[in-house]
Amino acid sequence: MPHVEVLPNSASVSAPGWTYVVDTGYDPSKAPINPKDRKRAAARTQGRRGDNELTARQQTAIARRIAELDRDNDPKQQIAIPGKNVPAKTANARRIIQSARQIKHWLDEEEALAQLAPAPRTAATSSRAPPSRKLSTVPPTPAETTPGPTSGFMTPLPREDIDPLLSIEKTMAPPLSESELDALLSAPPLSYAESFATLPAGGPPQRQFCDNCGYWGKIKCLKCGARICGLECKDAHESTRCLKWA
Amino acid sequence: MPPKGSRKSASSLPTQTLVLDNGAYTLKSGLVPAGSSNLAYDGCTVTPNCIARSSRDKRTYVSSELSKCADFGELAFRRPVEKGFIVNWEAEKAIWEHEFLDSKAKEGLRCDPRETNLLLTEKPNCPSLLQKNCDEIVFEQFEFARYYRCVGPTLNAYHPAQPNSLSSLPQECLLIIDTSYSDTTILPLYSGQLIQSALRRLTVGGKLLTNYLKELSSLRHYNMMEETYLLNEIKEAVSFVAPSAQQFGQNLERTWKGRLGDKRNLDPTIVLDYVLPDYEQSIHGYARPHDPAKSRMRRGLQPLQGPREDLLPLGNERFAVPELLFHPTDIGIQENGLPEAIMQSVGLLPEALKVGMLANVVVVGGNSLIPGFMERLESDLRALVPAEYYLNISRAEDPVKHTWLGAARLASQPELLKEVLVDKAEYDERGSGWLARKFAGGDTK
Ligand SMILES: [Zn+2]
Ligand SMILES: [Zn+2]
Repeated sequence: MPHVEVLPNSASVSAPGWTYVVDTGYDPSKAPINPKDRKRAAARTQGRRGDNELTARQQTAIARRIAELDRDNDPKQQIAIPGKNVPAKTANARRIIQSARQIKHWLDEEEALAQLAPAPRTAATSSRAPPSRKLSTVPPTPAETTPGPTSGFMTPLPREDIDPLLSIEKTMAPPLSESELDALLSAPPLSYAESFATLPAGGPPQRQFCDNCGYWGKIKCLKCGARICGLECKDAHESTRCLKWA
Repeated sequence: MPPKGSRKSASSLPTQTLVLDNGAYTLKSGLVPAGSSNLAYDGCTVTPNCIARSSRDKRTYVSSELSKCADFGELAFRRPVEKGFIVNWEAEKAIWEHEFLDSKAKEGLRCDPRETNLLLTEKPNCPSLLQKNCDEIVFEQFEFARYYRCVGPTLNAYHPAQPNSLSSLPQECLLIIDTSYSDTTILPLYSGQLIQSALRRLTVGGKLLTNYLKELSSLRHYNMMEETYLLNEIKEAVSFVAPSAQQFGQNLERTWKGRLGDKRNLDPTIVLDYVLPDYEQSIHGYARPHDPAKSRMRRGLQPLQGPREDLLPLGNERFAVPELLFHPTDIGIQENGLPEAIMQSVGLLPEALKVGMLANVVVVGGNSLIPGFMERLESDLRALVPAEYYLNISRAEDPVKHTWLGAARLASQPELLKEVLVDKAEYDERGSGWLARKFAGGDTK
């Protein structure tokens, strides 16, 4: 019993039957049902999700794999500090030096603290490193036609001389108000978790690759949901990574 | 040089600053005298930020000692920095002591912290509890005379916008892309100040790329899961970024073995064989054009006499690994690629700033050295930036040391440095909570 599923063609071919998916994307409305395999057909109908939507098990598997790829230290490895080192000088220092916590513990604690007490959105300008700035409110002057790297706003000038709009197409950029800029500059940092460039909804479908050889993943493994390029990589996939991260 | 004065008095600064860009992979460090005017990349020393242990020679290597290692096989690493933040102070302390304090050592930087300022960089969005740990260690354990901690890439604003500019003020609009070992961050800076709400981060960094190549090679060829050092070396030697998503697809075709009964020829301009080092005759490997006959030979089939070699064939791995910077979703990371993430970041800014940022994009960090990276980033960005915007993007001359040099420029200017440094007596009196608020630019009453 093979554990591979040939995906229905995502191109607009109306004839039923199996072909390889060209590349990515999956339109459920065009999914033909193989009448000879009712179990699979039922599973497919039940799912009826876009091809980029994954089961909870698959999502867990992917998250575990990414965590593994992103890991800095192997927890199984214990490397002792060699030689003599300066002893801790204060109780604080001793506690910090002896801590065996990993980054995930700190990030979890940070999130928990944020839930308890949301960070006060206080203005933060007084002791910033940069010297004081002064914004011009004069109307923008006509821009250079082809501003180059030497254009005015890139040259550090005494702050009084800077017009932030000097070399900016006046039609494009409405003047920047001082209060707007102050609000931007005084906004507190995001938490680590908030800082990621999350995907917007409705983006292009994810590209799918063969789990074994890295070519386009045109066929889906029924056991684990991974893609393979064809029957050529089926055996290799099943004997290596199938269900590894599940 | 400014007049020296009394170094012990509270009103004068120590005359030198240890500028330390404390990366997860390497420390970038150098001592900068106050008022120095001939700052250059040369002043920066790059040393591994790790303690490595070899199960073969049973030796432990601390930071720069790694240069004495002759067998990188199965070398295990302990890294004090995780996800870009200093987490393990036992290890970081040992490395700092080894690299900066050891008075018996003959090489490297040596300083007495009690007579030295410390300018220390951190990654953006650092958990406040880790910042607190860091501040306490700097003052209570190392006892630096004065100290400033800030988000490293922001210091790139102190580079002159033009080579001969005499201004000491930070550049007004600057968009820094920092693609480093731990991750990739996008930092819009206004007059050197980070616009926090528009900062964006990608999980993909050099570490993830190396680990991905290690995973792929282990799956397809040999188990190399313990060979992180080697795989990093291979990644640096062979990887390249495809010029476009379309070209990526073409490369994928040209490096595919084909189907049973429809074998294809691998494109010899892409597919390579990496000759693995044996750590007896050779410490480093090298790449050469793919030879199908040779790569089929397994070790057992090779002659007992004469040279034996282990080959790692590299096809789509060469460009599919760094492609993650442009398509994190290729392995299921639900994040934008770098060009889209840049647009996401500047899209949060008012129009005037958006225009200014896109006209002054500077890329730092080691991943920007991957051949083809800058060309792809620029061409993908051009396709996303509206036609009426001026886009100017460049890579720093030395993208690894550039942030350090920016920090050194700040450290060399006593009047700027004075504004930001906190001295130990003040810390002892007011404590770490006060210090954290001061470095965050908040209320310090
Ligand atoms: Zn395959
Ligand atoms: Zn499977």
